[in-house]
Amino acid sequence: MNGIRDETPTDLLRSWKIVHIPDKPPVSPHLQETVSMLAASIEPKCANLVVRHAALPPVKLNQTAPLENLRHVKRIRRTSLDGGKTQLSVILCIASGDGESNNLPKDVLELVCKYAALTKEEWEEQCRLWPTSFHPPAYNIDGITGFSEEDSLLVYNFMKIAVALAKSGIGVVNAAVIVDPSTCQVIASARDQVQSRNVALNFTSEETSTAEQLEAATMDETTEIKNDQSFLVGCSADESKLPYHGVACLNPLGWLEPQLHSSSDSWHPLHHAAIVAIEKSAARDKHLFPLNVDFSSKDHKVSSLVGSPLKRLKTNTNVKDEVNMNEHIDGFHCDATRPYLCTGYDIYFVWEPCIMCAMAVVHQRIKRVFFAFPNPNEGALGSKHRLQGEKSLNHHYAVFRVLLPELILKDDTDAALTVSPLM
Amino acid sequence: MAVSSEETMPDNVMFMKLALQQAKLALDNLEVPVGCVIVEDQAVIASGRNRPTQTRNATSHAEMEAIDKLLEQWQKIGLTRGEIYLKFSQCTLYVTCEPCIMCAAALSIIGIKEVFYGCANDKFGGCGSILSLHTCSSGKRTSDGGSKRKEFKCTGGILALEAINLLRSFYEQGNPNGIVPLSRKPTSLAKEPFH
Ligand SMILES: [Zn+2]
Ligand SMILES: [Zn+2]
Repeated sequence: MNGIRDETPTDLLRSWKIVHIPDKPPVSPHLQETVSMLAASIEPKCANLVVRHAALPPVKLNQTAPLENLRHVKRIRRTSLDGGKTQLSVILCIASGDGESNNLPKDVLELVCKYAALTKEEWEEQCRLWPTSFHPPAYNIDGITGFSEEDSLLVYNFMKIAVALAKSGIGVVNAAVIVDPSTCQVIASARDQVQSRNVALNFTSEETSTAEQLEAATMDETTEIKNDQSFLVGCSADESKLPYHGVACLNPLGWLEPQLHSSSDSWHPLHHAAIVAIEKSAARDKHLFPLNVDFSSKDHKVSSLVGSPLKRLKTNTNVKDEVNMNEHIDGFHCDATRPYLCTGYDIYFVWEPCIMCAMAVVHQRIKRVFFAFPNPNEGALGSKHRLQGEKSLNHHYAVFRVLLPELILKDDTDAALTVSPLM
Repeated sequence: MAVSSEETMPDNVMFMKLALQQAKLALDNLEVPVGCVIVEDQAVIASGRNRPTQTRNATSHAEMEAIDKLLEQWQKIGLTRGEIYLKFSQCTLYVTCEPCIMCAAALSIIGIKEVFYGCANDKFGGCGSILSLHTCSSGKRTSDGGSKRKEFKCTGGILALEAINLLRSFYEQGNPNGIVPLSRKPTSLAKEPFH
């Protein structure tokens, strides 16, 4: 990891960018679905009376004619008329779609947006039709509301570790790096091992120095992220063209293809980078936090707390709540006195994971997923599926794409890690 | 998805009973009781059970273990990738609970022929409950018109009640740490276990 210290964070910030990938695909504000409603206009001369009792009509109407599934729609619209007068309109009910509304005068029909706005832009557009309420999601995962420059740098540097790992063997493959963001420590990392297990480099052994370097990097001077839309376009134009056949998540059936570098043994069709990295993190967990559980009896109290850092104890108080919501079939039980899977950890992918890997990461309770390049045919975090939006799952992570020049994959030398502006 | 009748498929019942034995073994080891067997030419060639607690790896599902065993075994005797793919395409999996999204994807990657499961998995199920990864109809098709995954036949409801009862007994008695409250026992499974 010699490259990290040499680079100025300024260069990174100029051309890289972190984008949150929400639970639902974003809807263009003007393309939002609408519903027809019947509304009654109130004469301007009655306005004063109605305004004084403004609270009454909606309250009563909400009882007698509730707007099921349209709770974001405001009941009353206030319009300023010429001459400074105010007109109020009140929604009565949903217009029936059986043609009856054709006989009604045009001014009693109003269109309202069917779904609550997810973004401020959507909301502003909605209010042009009919006022709605907007409640920004109460996110509690770091980064959804934006990354500080310092945090961005950490993200970029861990993504660089993933990219370096992806390029470190024969051919470019996917790589996964599991990180504890509270300590900036690499917990486990892996390349795809579908074709061969022997080419993997182990970055975990360097975790201490890496963490130090990363911390050092954040001390340096930083500049603002350049909000360059052309960068985004440039990035997506190229990425689907290049064939990265060795990337397991892009090409899950690639294990069947004839191999140039035939390794006689040790290949596995399911050993995508994430699966291997999770396996490594589990092995590390077992090694660092050994438990003496007597499986033959029903007594399974933890008999050893040796080596349990305080910070893990602290995170585990939060873990309990999450465990309460856990599903029985997920197959893991938390012991509140030891690390619980990858709770609180981040994972970095070079490519958007396939559905198998994305679900594995749900099982292992990763908190945030970062990937650099989309996976148009198999991607499970926005491209083909959007697993972060599956409400039935017992655990949800936040997903981010780190936009970076694809150039970074082309060069075989370490110098490719020195990021240069794309344009 | 077809609803199978136990009377007309005695073999299915027999193999599912073996999968249930694996699930019981998991229960004895304080794991969530899910088990499976893989069958080729009417003979069980591999078995697997849940081991996340033992391995601290929440992806240590029964199906993954059985697949791992076969891959190791077949590579040891020198089968090529093509031969292994052909082998899997003649294999049937019996698992006590609907494969999760991860396992369903894995099963299509290796190209399994057919899957029979016990109870549905209405939180994570990848064979109809949440996603349908056993068919190409789920999700978007790729731009060139096809999906890169292989489809497999999938039938639920084989000895579903036994599978559910095992899961129940886990949450009522076998829960190691009492973290999952009793009110969380899998009542939802009982509602719609059959497809
Ligand atoms: Zn994958
Ligand atoms: Zn599974």
